[in-house]
Amino acid sequence: MNATDATISWDGRTYPYMPPEELSIDPSLELHQEADEKVEPVTHEVLRHALWNINTEHGNLIMRISGSPICAYGHDFNPVILDETGDFVFFGPFLQYLASATSSSVKWTLENRSENPGIAPGDIFMFNDPWIGATHQSDMGVAAPVFVDGRLFCWVANTLHQWDLGGTAPGGFNPMAPDVFWESPCIPPVKIVEGGRLRRDIEEQYTRTSRMPKLVALDLRAEVTGCKMAVERIEGLVERYGASTVKATMRKLQDDSEAAFIKRLDTIPDGTWTEEGWMEVSLPGDRGLYKNRVSLTKRGDKLIFSNRGSAPQEGTLNAAFPAWKGAVTSMLNSTMLYDQMFCIEGALRHCEFDVEPGTISCATHPAAVSGGTALTLLHSIGLGGLVISKMLASSTDPEMLSEVGSCMGELGFPINATSGLDQRGNPYSSFLLDPVGSALPALSWRDGQDTGGFSWDLQSTMPNVEDNELFYPLLYLWRKELPNSGGAGKFRGGNGAEGAIVPHMTDSVALATITGEVAVPGPGLFGGYPTSTNSYIQVKGAKVQERIAKSGKMPTSLAELEGELDHVPAKTFDRAPTPDDVWVFAWAGAGGYGDPVERDPELVLEDVLAGRVTAEWARRAYGVVIADEQVDGEATEAERRRLVEERLAEGKPWEGEAAEEGDGAAPADGRVSEYLRVVDGEIRHGDVALGPAGRNFKLGALVRELPITEANPHVPEPSIHTDQKIAFRQFICPQTGRLLATEVAVDDAPPEWDLRPGGSA
Amino acid sequence: MKYYCGVDIGGTFTDCVVLDDQGRVLNAKTSSTPPNFHEGFLDVLGEAARKLDLSLEDFLAQTDLLLHGTTVGTNVLVQMRGAKTGLITTAGHGDALIIMRSYGRSAGLPIDRLLHVSRHQKPDPIVPPGRIKEVSERLDWSGAVFLDLNEDEARAAIEELVAEGVEAIAISFLWGFVNPAHELRVRELVEEIAPDVFVCCAHELIAKPGEYERTAAAAINAFIGPSTADYVKQVDEATSERGLQHPLLIMQAAGGVVPARQAAGKPLFTIGSGPVGGVTGAAYLARQMGHPNVIAGDMGGTSFDVGIIADGEPLSASETVINQYTFFMPRLDIESIGSGGGSIVWLDEQSATMRVGPESAAAQPGPACYGRGGTRPTVTDCDLLLGRYNPETFLGGELKLDLHAARKALEAVSAELGMDPIEAADGAVRIVESQMADLMRQMTVERGLDPRDFVVYAFGGAGGAHAVEFARELGCRQVVVPLGDFASTWSALGVMSSDVLHVHEHSELATAPFSPDQLNSIYARLEEEAAEQLRDEGFDDDQIELVRFADMKFSMQIHQVEVPVPGGTLGEAEAAAQVDHFIERYEQTYGEGSAFPDAGTQIGVYRVLARGRLRTPELPEIEPREAVETVHREVYWRDLGGFHSTEVVPSDALGAGFEFAGPTILDLPDTTVVVPPGATGRVDPLGSIVIDVGAPLDQNLAAGSAAATR
Repeated sequence: MNATDATISWDGRTYPYMPPEELSIDPSLELHQEADEKVEPVTHEVLRHALWNINTEHGNLIMRISGSPICAYGHDFNPVILDETGDFVFFGPFLQYLASATSSSVKWTLENRSENPGIAPGDIFMFNDPWIGATHQSDMGVAAPVFVDGRLFCWVANTLHQWDLGGTAPGGFNPMAPDVFWESPCIPPVKIVEGGRLRRDIEEQYTRTSRMPKLVALDLRAEVTGCKMAVERIEGLVERYGASTVKATMRKLQDDSEAAFIKRLDTIPDGTWTEEGWMEVSLPGDRGLYKNRVSLTKRGDKLIFSNRGSAPQEGTLNAAFPAWKGAVTSMLNSTMLYDQMFCIEGALRHCEFDVEPGTISCATHPAAVSGGTALTLLHSIGLGGLVISKMLASSTDPEMLSEVGSCMGELGFPINATSGLDQRGNPYSSFLLDPVGSALPALSWRDGQDTGGFSWDLQSTMPNVEDNELFYPLLYLWRKELPNSGGAGKFRGGNGAEGAIVPHMTDSVALATITGEVAVPGPGLFGGYPTSTNSYIQVKGAKVQERIAKSGKMPTSLAELEGELDHVPAKTFDRAPTPDDVWVFAWAGAGGYGDPVERDPELVLEDVLAGRVTAEWARRAYGVVIADEQVDGEATEAERRRLVEERLAEGKPWEGEAAEEGDGAAPADGRVSEYLRVVDGEIRHGDVALGPAGRNFKLGALVRELPITEANPHVPEPSIHTDQKIAFRQFICPQTGRLLATEVAVDDAPPEWDLRPGGSA
Repeated sequence: MKYYCGVDIGGTFTDCVVLDDQGRVLNAKTSSTPPNFHEGFLDVLGEAARKLDLSLEDFLAQTDLLLHGTTVGTNVLVQMRGAKTGLITTAGHGDALIIMRSYGRSAGLPIDRLLHVSRHQKPDPIVPPGRIKEVSERLDWSGAVFLDLNEDEARAAIEELVAEGVEAIAISFLWGFVNPAHELRVRELVEEIAPDVFVCCAHELIAKPGEYERTAAAAINAFIGPSTADYVKQVDEATSERGLQHPLLIMQAAGGVVPARQAAGKPLFTIGSGPVGGVTGAAYLARQMGHPNVIAGDMGGTSFDVGIIADGEPLSASETVINQYTFFMPRLDIESIGSGGGSIVWLDEQSATMRVGPESAAAQPGPACYGRGGTRPTVTDCDLLLGRYNPETFLGGELKLDLHAARKALEAVSAELGMDPIEAADGAVRIVESQMADLMRQMTVERGLDPRDFVVYAFGGAGGAHAVEFARELGCRQVVVPLGDFASTWSALGVMSSDVLHVHEHSELATAPFSPDQLNSIYARLEEEAAEQLRDEGFDDDQIELVRFADMKFSMQIHQVEVPVPGGTLGEAEAAAQVDHFIERYEQTYGEGSAFPDAGTQIGVYRVLARGRLRTPELPEIEPREAVETVHREVYWRDLGGFHSTEVVPSDALGAGFEFAGPTILDLPDTTVVVPPGATGRVDPLGSIVIDVGAPLDQNLAAGSAAATR
């Protein structure tokens, strides 16, 4: 941990909890720490599988017992096995951003609960305090200690998103909370199961604040039953193989993962990589933009993640530190530890967090944080993924280069929180999970998957339209992928999608919104174009049923609807469409990778024929001309030449202020990205020198500013949502006209110095 | 004389088992004849007839039942060689099949591929976007018409597809299973406009909510429809031309057979039926042996397939994933992992540990010891090194195994670990056995079943070599290697032993307290449909067996639990008791205290399993045999700490009542049974090898002793 200000008490009360290296545990709690020096390789392999299977079974059990849509489709849970001090052994293949939550809460429990009320066999603790270790209050965690001969051997734990735990907003995402007191209560670790028995007093206190106490009680059983099963199974392994052998396997899993991580880190030169983005609307009525910034510095075998430069905490945007830590590290598992069964501890041993408190990504109590998972948390996963990709792009290992990916689609989860009376006349409250079908990033060698889900959830599952129509009083006019929404590039970002619903068999439904990325799209990578945006549009007076009865034709796009368009802001709680209205919600496509003009025209043709890209956008963004379902080779070549010439003609060197700091130390020769190298102290694109390697390469490129609506056909006029300026900026090689980078620039900010090989922070 | 005949076609061999009404049994094996599999079908029947000294015509004329398991549909799908298919679906929802609810990018991937996110990719579309036609029409969740079917659009869609040259059309509308009128009308239009095109409606295949899975089912059914229909028709015609009087019956993934005509229209239900024969065969044998609870494990060259039989019935599942497409379909629950004789043993350099599989040397190049160019060590190589296989008589002596090649291959891995090859071979075998035990444990424990209450049936070429060890690992007390001589044609025997099975389902959400009238009317309708279908197929009422189930859940849960429902007319008390049955089954599955009745209980799906009992004769008993001379071979025994001169019993000796005690090896023509120290057994009157697994000599030895890391 790299908490710089010594006067701050990082104890999980006002400031977030940052576990110290050595935990302070009451001596009455004895830890089991012996491990065999060596594990026989075959036994290790047998135990490795057994532990993984226990954790998987733990997850499956939760999914089947809870079986709530958010669990079954959103996979908003994750089971873990932790060692005796709360470090990860296994972390399940579900939501990756929950990575820090359980570990942090267990460590806090060890430090704060080992004396009073004590930690004993058969106990299970529950917790959802975002400053201690929950992503937000809705993600209720439970953790069970496993004891061997009276000593604490390890922990099993899980978190699961709950339907409703009370507070002023049904469902728990509160778009109008100025502080945490408007939100569901925060529960620091409390003993819910004592000596194997569920404590009825605590359960009733817990469910009493919920609008849906019965479902919350059922989910609690899912979490507790999952833990109990895992405890029993680990006890069985210990009985059969011996405690010190099982413990040695746990240690070896962590050590092996660490060694694999280091080996990969060794292929990467030191450097600093940053990414910036913006979120809209702190509270309903606001039109501001708020900066989120993530930087990653590699120094030897250390990675330092920092949030410095992010906006001060504000309205509903915020996340606490445990959520942010989980967010920025969540892509490490899938990019660098995919062959280590996601044993994240190996990476975490080498990660430090240099955070500025009081910001949207490291909020202090009592900031509002319930909406943070859909906002700053998700946004930081996106930026975190990008800084990791930028780092990996300088690796000498082709395996790591193949993990480089562009910006994921949704930097904000478009929450459609709906409540009212359902088609059977019963009250309901939930939110639509369709945007789980997110767009996947483009890779350095392949297009992103259209509606492929999240890269930080391995099996994202959208509900069927029929599931939603059965549960809620809604009828879907359409749900379809959005052509062109994936950012253009040498490799295209995955396309996002859109749904259109009308209230059905009810008078009206309430629809509250929480999201980001409605005005400011996510960036493209290495010259790729930006993502599209999320959007909500209410079409008032569309009177669909009346009109289709006459025409016999079902409208399948916004253009085919009549009525008044209401561009719904990113935070609202006052919309209530009736069956005469239509509610259209879209989720963003992913960013592009590389210059679109370099894309293989045959791939563009394939996209056009499949309806993933329109012929017009193929020409505008990719310079590919298609006639008679064929690429017109000559016309394409001419069009591409024209586009490049236009760039060179319109691009100018940057003349405003620009960051020039740095310690002047020249970075070593080597790769910076697919398109940039350091050679003899200079940064170069091929043979073209872009200035000293200790300076931002963008200052050696030509800069061209275009309206942001040119970046992606699905980005709206900024003035709909904000009064600030948003531009699409291209950085162009002054010789070749190639796009080296693109930016989404707000208020004429100087070029972001995002690739900094060598140097010191 | 009457004959009952089962034919199972695999990639390499076509197998046939014939029983007669005197209780005699024989098997035949010929080469498969891809791509014209029906030729191999006739070949194997001819071979069986020859063994009976009959002409094929005389044999077929006397054949009462001809049952057949085919993988034609599965193969067409896996290899994506299906028909040019079009899809007609609800306007605004044509992307459902392309979006695949997102999870198509990773559905069904084994864990190593699941964890590698950047490699996730949705599969090639079964119907490309250009051939997905949207038509204006809309029903709501209750089946009420929100927008009438626009017949002009439907006609235009069909004509466009026909102009593009499609060979098959799938029709799938939102809520079409609640109100099929629109789907049926479009089907009529297709039949009118393009009578030669294969056509199917989603609601006829699946009656459950979930438009993606239903549409995928319809699309896959259409995609594999023409080729499966052609094949079934060829076989049907060829056999009836040659004298077969009775309808050919085709194996379904649900574990029963249906008449060929029906299978040809719904080939979807044959998908994944390949390993089903093995499990139905195990259930058939288990009934005769009096084993209510059986874990049936089939270990072949590339995979290990497991099915569970509880209280005499194979357990079923409701979802199938193939090529990353998911659809709902009743099927026997058979799970597979990539652990077979061909699984490759490799070194993970990072952690300096040994790994086994999931990569397989498959048939080509095969294990190193096959001498076909394989250089990487496999589980079969390990078994050979440990002395379990006789290099001269493996697979009936067809293949001479190369011990030297096996050793060399394994040394490449073991040297890196500082182990000797024998130690490594034993380690690899332990790893693979623990993986197999893990799969079996998951399939029982996750359903609330205790594996210790089960007998393990081990079949497939490599099953007998590992069964005692994984049975011990699971805590099972007994292993059966079924019907010695028939182990290699086990699937054909299973196919032969199957009944006709139809599944009738209805979806409708009901919340407790349940109305007995509603339940009675739904089940009465399903049962009437089911009984009528079986009567049409020639079953008498006393051969018809109808069993009711309900898929139940707590309100707002997605996952449902299948709960039996009593037959007859239900009263208030029985309807109320259904909630108790649910809670009991729920807690049995998920653990005591996991249920929360206050959350409200619902029924989502009503199901009737309709069985037409075929008169499958009982298996015959075998005779005791004369004692024969046994040989000795050096075999490695973990519990004895090394090689040990071990008695090897040839198959000639395995007559009824033959007894043996470990350590010993039973050398059968197509499989080898490894009986470690502490295990004892006998050959039962049906010819099955029954082993009481006992306990290893020293439990701690099994946990591993010699430590050796790099």
